[in-house]
Amino acid sequence: MTELALDIRGVTKRYDQHTAVNALSLAVPKGAVYGLLGPNGAGKTTTIRMILNIIAPDEGTISIFGQPSNSNGIMDRVGYLPEERGLYKKMQVRRVLRFLAELKGVSAKVADQRIDQWMERLSLKTPEKDWGLAKLEELSRGMQQKVQFIGTLLHDPELVILDEPFSGLDPINAQALKDTVVDLKKSGHTVIFSTHLMDNAERLCDSVCIIARGEKVLDGTVAAVKAEHGGNNVALSVAGGSELISKIFADHQLVERVDDSNRFFEIALQKDADPQSLLRRLVEAGAVVQRFELVQPSLHQIFLEKVGATGVEVGMSGHG
Amino acid sequence: MAKLWVVIKREYLERVRSKWFIISTVFGPLFFVAITIVPGYLTMQGMKDSQVSDLRILDATGADLGSRVADRLKKMRDDRLSKMLGDDAAIVPPTVVQRVAPTQLADAESTATRLVMQKVTQGYLVLDSLTLTKQKARYAGRNASSLAEMEMVQGAVREALLANKLQAEGVPPSRIDSITRVRVDLATEKIDERGRGGSGLVSAIFGFIIAFLLYMMIMLYGQNVLRGVLEEKMTRVAEVVMSSVKPDILLAGKVIGVGAVGLTQQLVWFASAALMAAYGTQMMNAMGKPGMPPISLPPISPLLMVCLVLFFLFGYVFYSSLFAAVGAMVGSQEEAQQAAQPVIMLLVSSIILVQPIMLNPNGKLAVVMSILPFTSPVIMPLRMSAVQVPTAELAASLILVALACWAAIWVSARIYRVGLLMTGKRPSLKELVKWIRYA
Repeated sequence: MTELALDIRGVTKRYDQHTAVNALSLAVPKGAVYGLLGPNGAGKTTTIRMILNIIAPDEGTISIFGQPSNSNGIMDRVGYLPEERGLYKKMQVRRVLRFLAELKGVSAKVADQRIDQWMERLSLKTPEKDWGLAKLEELSRGMQQKVQFIGTLLHDPELVILDEPFSGLDPINAQALKDTVVDLKKSGHTVIFSTHLMDNAERLCDSVCIIARGEKVLDGTVAAVKAEHGGNNVALSVAGGSELISKIFADHQLVERVDDSNRFFEIALQKDADPQSLLRRLVEAGAVVQRFELVQPSLHQIFLEKVGATGVEVGMSGHG
Repeated sequence: MAKLWVVIKREYLERVRSKWFIISTVFGPLFFVAITIVPGYLTMQGMKDSQVSDLRILDATGADLGSRVADRLKKMRDDRLSKMLGDDAAIVPPTVVQRVAPTQLADAESTATRLVMQKVTQGYLVLDSLTLTKQKARYAGRNASSLAEMEMVQGAVREALLANKLQAEGVPPSRIDSITRVRVDLATEKIDERGRGGSGLVSAIFGFIIAFLLYMMIMLYGQNVLRGVLEEKMTRVAEVVMSSVKPDILLAGKVIGVGAVGLTQQLVWFASAALMAAYGTQMMNAMGKPGMPPISLPPISPLLMVCLVLFFLFGYVFYSSLFAAVGAMVGSQEEAQQAAQPVIMLLVSSIILVQPIMLNPNGKLAVVMSILPFTSPVIMPLRMSAVQVPTAELAASLILVALACWAAIWVSARIYRVGLLMTGKRPSLKELVKWIRYA
């Protein structure tokens, strides 16, 4: 078995009346990009805070690189980007970054070199303008997020934990973030991020864990999850015959669920249903089939199937 | 420990670098001088056009006692003014003396009353035959309740009567003046178990200044801690920092860092005060102004010095941890002001009772307030500068305040740990207790 970057066993966290995280176990191998997926309020942030030893679990153990997460110095090997971002507004950018690096045990001298590298890489420092000398509050939102991201990575953490990293990012910053995550993986780092955006997870993650209501719904490599939960899915694009088509879709002998994505339908067939019979009936109904493809279900589909069924309030499983 | 140092460094440097610190360090002493000197200066100005000069004397004695009183009054005033101002004391107009026949005294008094009501004069003094025989005089005026001024009037009448009697006894007029103007200057000095120790008045003022400074520093820097905590909570930076250090270390670093800023400021102030004391007279002379007499501070005993530092530290730690807990509890500046009220009231309760305690530094109130941990940091140093505090009381006070500090830190750290990550509405008292129990 490969060495684990993170090993959570039977972790439970209760608040007053409700249980935020219930007997959660998951394992993240070293060097993986791992997605923690779940609707809002599923317990992702609570889980992450427990990993980072910000709050203590009521039950269970958490190990990072084989050591208990509350052992000395282990947090110096972890980088964290919280969901709600913010830094000292009145401080000079460079001083904030140096402070964050020093808190992780990096000397000021080494920190300064890395700050320069990162600032240049994310174009916060150009020959014309060095934003490092400005106060944080003088920076635009996008730039502040870059600074925060640099702060997460300055001590070159082996394990990087990003809580909803894509929320509030413009497309350019989101792309830069994806590139960085890929680079981190290539250089042997482990990345865990939480998101409720399945597209990002599908593109980036090696493995995922879906949680809902504080409990694990499923986990595994993306390939395994798809193989296990899919196989009988069809991507369909048709023109005309809409009424008859609706009738076919409503036949629960054949079709389990339909997701209308506007330009095409993603259809989950019943387990033993034959895709060919669906195609035949569509043609008979007079539909002009433009696309008919047997596909693996997207993570989004699996997510809806698994989490939607167990009862997420309507509108909370949002697709982007 | 290395991380604690990083936190302290940030808290300290960011504050010392700020404009706020530089301004308050430079203008703090100016402000302090202003609030101590300006009232004194205004009092002196007030005396210059003194109300006492602005009175009318109705002389119905027929022995010209009125002009003698007026003469005395002027001399007394000149004496006092020249003591304070050095020169130009002679600009005060002489007092008006109105001779009236005993039968017309009633009319003259009603005229004088009207003049006082119309604010032409401050008041009037009535001298009649009773004054000569039974040493009785009457005064009526706006300033009748001013003890100092009435004492002056009384003194002037007494001296004038004395002069009259001396004259009747045949003492030559040239000698009368010097005999009646004998002055007594009462110097006060404190004596305690260790012997004599400096002027009573100076040590009272000194004690008051110390108490006020302690109060001010604890209030200012305690609230500074509150703002710091609130900033970390509101900007959400707390979560990032807490992924690197334990909240207790963050709290300790903040309290120590801010405290160090306060000590730095005091150091700057004391150093400049010492410089002023050493070179002030020379500087004033060089600028062509007559040097002020050097002010000699009462000698501070090593015990008092050590206690001052201890009480400042304990008081500051006690209050700043409470303020930190408040900062962690609330979610906005406005809420903070409201939630900080109870803590501020605790602190204010010590300073509003300074005066009664100074008047009776060994009274029950003084003893109790100097032992209760939330007032002792201000009140005990005040008492110590006024009287010899029994060792047992001092020890009790120090032990209690140290225990209170420990309790405040313990409670605050728990509230802080939970509160920093909380958002939404302010916790109720019940919820707070829960935070403290489960943190």
